[in-house]
Amino acid sequence: MEIEFQRVGKKYESGHDALSQVSFHLRQGEMAFLTGHSGAGKSTLMKLIMMIERQTTGTILVDGVDLRTLGKHAIPYHRRRVGVVFQNHQLLFDRSVFHNVALPLQVSGADDGQTGKRVRAALDKVGLLGKEKLNPMALSGGEQQRIGIARAVVNKPQLLLADEPTGNLDPRLSAEIMNLFQEFNRVGVTVMVASHDLALVARMRHRVLTLNQGRMVNDGGFA
Amino acid sequence: MARPPQQRSAAQRGATRQAHSAKQKPAWRAQGFDFKLYLRQHQAFLIESLTRLLGHPLASAMTIMVIAISLSLPGGLFVLLKNVQSVTDRWEQQSVISLYLFSQLEDTEALSLSHQLSSRADVLSVEYISKEEGLRYFEQSSGYEQIMSTLPENPLPIVLKVIPKAIVDLNTLPDLQALRDHLQSLPQVEYAQLDAEWLQRLATMISFGERFVYAISALLVIAVLLIVGNTIRMAVESRRDEVLVMKLVGATNSYIRRPFLYMGFWFGVLGGLFASICILMLSWWVSSPAEQLIELYHAGFELQSFNAVEIIMCLTISAVIGVFGSWVAVSRHIRDIELQ
Ligand SMILES: Nc1ncnc2c1ncn2[C@@H]1O[C@H](COP(=O)(O)OP(=O)(O)OP(=O)(O)O)[C@@H](O)[C@H]1O
Ligand SMILES: [Mg+2]
Repeated sequence: MEIEFQRVGKKYESGHDALSQVSFHLRQGEMAFLTGHSGAGKSTLMKLIMMIERQTTGTILVDGVDLRTLGKHAIPYHRRRVGVVFQNHQLLFDRSVFHNVALPLQVSGADDGQTGKRVRAALDKVGLLGKEKLNPMALSGGEQQRIGIARAVVNKPQLLLADEPTGNLDPRLSAEIMNLFQEFNRVGVTVMVASHDLALVARMRHRVLTLNQGRMVNDGGFA
Repeated sequence: MARPPQQRSAAQRGATRQAHSAKQKPAWRAQGFDFKLYLRQHQAFLIESLTRLLGHPLASAMTIMVIAISLSLPGGLFVLLKNVQSVTDRWEQQSVISLYLFSQLEDTEALSLSHQLSSRADVLSVEYISKEEGLRYFEQSSGYEQIMSTLPENPLPIVLKVIPKAIVDLNTLPDLQALRDHLQSLPQVEYAQLDAEWLQRLATMISFGERFVYAISALLVIAVLLIVGNTIRMAVESRRDEVLVMKLVGATNSYIRRPFLYMGFWFGVLGGLFASICILMLSWWVSSPAEQLIELYHAGFELQSFNAVEIIMCLTISAVIGVFGSWVAVSRHIRDIELQ
């Protein structure tokens, strides 16, 4: 999937300009990091792509389609093509790991046989195949994070968005998870990861987009 | 209906290509409606929502019982009304229209009117009661012999007792009243009286009772709507996180709504079921004194309760109320739960 921002601005109802004049182009199959201080607008940018928030100025093109042309009824179908790992929409603790990961498939109406296969494949990718029957409560923080990733990729999305996916993990686990994203990117998925961890970002040698006070101040690679 | 395999896969390839090339057509439009999938999902929801209901047995039972009680009141009144109607329907009685003729009328004129009336299609027979017969009858029954004998002249008019063909009940009452009005308009008739006043009064009471039942039913249906709505709203609120995650992974509002509608359906059906049981038990409880009471007046009457058709109707109505109540409560609520 291909994302293009053309001088996008987002002003919240409070009057705060979370983003202003943001332009960039993320090509099909590309991987990029999004960094910036706390409050720079990273999460806001990802919410705009997910249509959780709508931009106040500028144009966002996803695969060439202007998101403003999509009505309310198109939003769920748009979201099904994007896998997301957001901090505050984590797992549901009233059901097993399997059913957490299966949720995107159920929502889009996959049949049971296909669901089982896809869920196990996704859990296998994040190394949690043996734990599908457990309640996520019984897993460690790192494992829970990986379940979230499995849920994000189970639908074979064309774009993967991750907002601070390594938030409270130790360096080794963080690196592991970043490697996971890299693997998905290798099979053609467009990936965008927001992260504070500049050292880790630098080591990954991918394109880095940096926001400062809602403006894009750096768009370049560490390579 | 089998298609050649190559053709099918070509069509599928076409569909996938279309789904991916969002430039020509948004992906969401390319998805066709799959009826089998729809049915399968509904079945799964039906079971899942019942399991959820049973997962909170006490809270669910309270809601269901409130619904059942609210529904059994109009249901019970309905049964009562049905029985009153059936009693009067079986109360086969010949009615009489008494025609009091003008007193200056000659006997021959009165007789010819009597013949004329008895040849009418809606009249069974006409009984001619002369002034003398009337006087004798009056003396026997009233105990006013002395007073009557002091009068210089017989004050009683000639009376024609017209017996209509129709048996009087609530259905034929309007026809009989029309006949009475017609006879009243004859020039020879001073006064025409239909001796079915008790029936008229009953008819008025029944139509009053019907309106009463409708009003009570309407109020209680609204109460049930509110109860179901409130219960479902609370269920949505307690599953807010789940609703948000579902929205995030691309669930449509109607998909999120469905398990809650099914919850409303179950509340309605179970409430209706218990209401039916309440009514059956209640009518069983009152049946023997009621039958004794009615036998005093009329033999061979059997108290009627809810029959199978009425039970099914009750369940259907309560299911519709349940689904509608939750739909009203949930639609807005789910739309208003927004990702942030
Ligand atoms: N719903 C909202 N209403 C009003 N202001 C908001 C809202 N969400 C975010 N903001 C403001 O917009 C700015 C950007 O927020 P955002 O969450 O995008 O930052 P961020 O880069 O993700 O920060 P962090 O690294 O701390 O997650 C912040 O100043 C924040 O206070
Ligand atoms: Mg953030």
